[in-house]
Amino acid sequence: MTADDLTPADEQVVSTFMQRLRAAPLDVSPRMPATDVLMLKAQLIRRWDAQQKVRLPIDVMEPFEMAATLAAAALLLFWSIPSAFDWIPRVMF
Amino acid sequence: MLTERALGEFYQRHARSVWTYVYRVTNDAFDADDIVQEAFLRLFQADVAPADEEGLRKYVFRIAGNLIADRWRRRKRDERRDPEAVPTEGGEQRDLDVVRTFAELKPRDRALLWLAYVEGETHEDIATSLRVGRGSVKVLLSRARARLRDLLTARGMFQGLKK
Repeated sequence: MTADDLTPADEQVVSTFMQRLRAAPLDVSPRMPATDVLMLKAQLIRRWDAQQKVRLPIDVMEPFEMAATLAAAALLLFWSIPSAFDWIPRVMF
Repeated sequence: MLTERALGEFYQRHARSVWTYVYRVTNDAFDADDIVQEAFLRLFQADVAPADEEGLRKYVFRIAGNLIADRWRRRKRDERRDPEAVPTEGGEQRDLDVVRTFAELKPRDRALLWLAYVEGETHEDIATSLRVGRGSVKVLLSRARARLRDLLTARGMFQGLKK
């Protein structure tokens, strides 16, 4: 038989079965948190999300900051190399 | 938007029925605990939520359905888990047979049948809950019914359920 072969009697049996299932007792008890706990958790998550939103521009800019700092350091080093070479012979001899 | 108090009362009224749905579909009490908690957390955090009780209820069932679907996808390779999780104690023999038979169906069939017969949801609501095409619900539900009928016949329960 295929799905299309369902007779009204089949439908009625399925319906009766589902009603029995609905009425069947649960073999385990739900372990749901208390309402206050869940509300508090939701508040904390909301606060965390808000913090993340505020932090987003800082986090986005952080790699650019790092790159700019490194570039500035490299430039400074590049400029200071000739004067460093001038200074070394004076100390040594 | 509902007040926190109204949402709290809504949670107290409906958490158990959502939990029962998730548990019957997943056959796993830990999953049911997790999914129901997550579903209500998402509801509490939602900026826009339906204001009437029935709309809110459907909304939670939809979130729970989506979370169940996400877990199916993650655990598809672990399909043998379900029969092992079939309850073995509690309730009368008749109830146990009913629960065991239902647990033998595929999770999606269980969800379809539960939403259609126990929650009385429309095909449109079921489609949204389970993230399937609206046009597919009728066919999928029909197949789920046929599989349940075949199971009942194989287990010799079909005649007993005929009135």
